[in-house]
Amino acid sequence: MNASSLDSIPHRQGLGDTGSPAASGRHADAVRPPAGYWRLALPMAGKDGAILIDRRALVANLGLIVALLILGGLSLCLGSVTLAPLETTRALLGQGDAMNAFLVQELRLPRLAAGIATGAAFALSGCLMQTLARNRLATPGIIGIDNGATAFAVASVVGLGMSLAPPPLALAGAATATALTFGLAGGVGTRGYRFIVAGIGVGAVFGAVTQLMLARVDIDTANAAYPWTVGSLNARDPASLWALGAALVIGLAISRCIAQALNVLRFSDSVAAGLGIRVRHCRRGALMLSVGLTALAVAVAGPVGMVALIGPELARHVSSPRGVPLMGSALAGALVMVSADLAGRLMLAPLEIPVGIVTAVIGGPLLLWILLRPSRRIC
Amino acid sequence: MRQNSQRCAPLSAQRLELGYGTGRRQARRAVIENLDITLPAGQVTAIVGPNGCGKSTLLAGLARLHAPRKGAVHLDGQDIRRLPARELARRLALLPQDTKAPEGLTVAELIRFGRQPHQGFLRQWSEEDERVVKAALSAANLTDLADRTLDAMSGGQRQRAWIAMAIAQQTPLLLLDEPTSALDLGHQLEVFELIRNLATDGKTVVMVVHDLDSACRFADHLVAMQGGRIITAGRPSDVVSEDLVRTLYGIDCTLLSDPATGSPILTNMRRTRAAVKGDGAQGTSQRCQTGA
Ligand SMILES: Nc1ncnc2c1ncn2[C@@H]1O[C@H](COP(=O)(O)OP(=O)(O)OP(=O)(O)O)[C@@H](O)[C@H]1O
Ligand SMILES: [Mg+2]
Repeated sequence: MNASSLDSIPHRQGLGDTGSPAASGRHADAVRPPAGYWRLALPMAGKDGAILIDRRALVANLGLIVALLILGGLSLCLGSVTLAPLETTRALLGQGDAMNAFLVQELRLPRLAAGIATGAAFALSGCLMQTLARNRLATPGIIGIDNGATAFAVASVVGLGMSLAPPPLALAGAATATALTFGLAGGVGTRGYRFIVAGIGVGAVFGAVTQLMLARVDIDTANAAYPWTVGSLNARDPASLWALGAALVIGLAISRCIAQALNVLRFSDSVAAGLGIRVRHCRRGALMLSVGLTALAVAVAGPVGMVALIGPELARHVSSPRGVPLMGSALAGALVMVSADLAGRLMLAPLEIPVGIVTAVIGGPLLLWILLRPSRRIC
Repeated sequence: MRQNSQRCAPLSAQRLELGYGTGRRQARRAVIENLDITLPAGQVTAIVGPNGCGKSTLLAGLARLHAPRKGAVHLDGQDIRRLPARELARRLALLPQDTKAPEGLTVAELIRFGRQPHQGFLRQWSEEDERVVKAALSAANLTDLADRTLDAMSGGQRQRAWIAMAIAQQTPLLLLDEPTSALDLGHQLEVFELIRNLATDGKTVVMVVHDLDSACRFADHLVAMQGGRIITAGRPSDVVSEDLVRTLYGIDCTLLSDPATGSPILTNMRRTRAAVKGDGAQGTSQRCQTGA
């Protein structure tokens, strides 16, 4: 061991294997990226300006995008009336048969958008929460946030006679559930399982409240509220969808900014703080983001909590273990949601199975399959 | 040779009180009370003391992981509470006692995290980063294991990786909590020599060590703690005495001077009669307490 080498290496020897003068690294491009990364030099950000691109994460995300495009296209084409891809494209552009244009533009496209947005939001907030709690069990659905949002949404449907629950109520419900869980557990992460157990309890209470409310109203109202309890993309409200879309764009931007901090937060809080991360700040921001996205997604599609578990798991499986796969989770969640909705529409057509049930039926085994496969590490 | 670096103390604490918990009175009891400490610049300070006396708590307090209930910690004369987190991380590195890393992380990736305080959103990997990580790898003798995942390494190898990460942080001040607790003799010596070299390069190092012989041999300054207080501090050969060993650990010993280095070494150790008796009378209850 020789500590003096720490400060003298560049003077004594080159960095590259070539030993040529260029390898002594005066050029920015001579800097070798760590294994598995591309280094993109950004001269406009100063001499050391550069970003690292994780190759595996990039490939995984591109793959997920391609899959999402294919499935999105399929879900526009398939249904009670099957359209050829060409017809669908023309309908999207407003040409051709007016009936088809209505079908694609007014029915299938918003539904696809809702599927993508809710799937991405659920999975992104799941990934954030899992990272905060350092526990893959700790998704918003499992710690009762979905149920809180649903209970408030259902209360508005059965109590106030509105046909659709507005996002603010779902937000209020999610915030209430979170506050209760935190109050009972004394903070996220600090007490590991206690936090999850408290969340499960809170979720159970809210779930029971929802059932109780539905049991006490007439059958028509209960039917109107039913999609909220299982999760469905059928009864979307455009305003809620816009609210979710805006939140998702902001959320993805924020999570891009705090990605590195979250990476460090995977260690213990003390290690993260020691590396200059503002732990409390970062935790609070990520938590608010997670709760907000979950609530707004519940306002659109009801509690499809399973996606928050499957999305990040799928992303972790295909993406790189070097970082928290935030973008990958969002994409994988959207993919899961869109495929589950498509399957729900086609399997027993013309009957429609709510997407929440499909994610549970298909998602459960998929999750087990992912978990049981031996983990491999690819650089 | 250490004259020039001794002019100012980089890290000091005044009337420091630290503790855990905010709830019940029992949990709120202070672990460290009214403690003053000054770490000599450019030297190696060893903190010794029995289990549970508050060494780790003190290090965490010095690194601002715990907010002091009373008193303050000063870094180069500045209250550390005023420093931005990243700046503090560029000036002071802490290696915690119990380290946990995310699944699947490799040694090189772990060490790269040490560069975190020097990087930015648009400055993610510089020539300097590459050089320092490489040097830290070779300093900890881990170059051949760079691409191994941490889960697939022995406890001692893992500990060296964490030391390398603290080194990669390139701070003038290093706080190491039991850096050698899992290392074999050879690697212990290697780490101690590394620490000495760091001090020669002008860095200030604080280490918590349990082995008093090593502490005496490799530290310039020794701080002995018990029950959350500093009972003595100074040059090892000045402060280490048979009395001190008895007070700290309940051990009678004969102190010799190492013929090669002149540093004190403990021989003929046996537990004091009081310690043995206490063990016999309430041995099980004591053991339960430590376990709980
Ligand atoms: N997270 C915590 N919550 C409550 N009390 C704690 C916590 N961590 C430590 N303590 C208490 O603080 C005291 C000092 O603990 P600390 O970890 O600083 O001891 P230490 O000197 O580092 O011991 P060791 O040699 O075993 O590492 C102990 O009595 C311990 O019970
Ligand atoms: Mg300790």
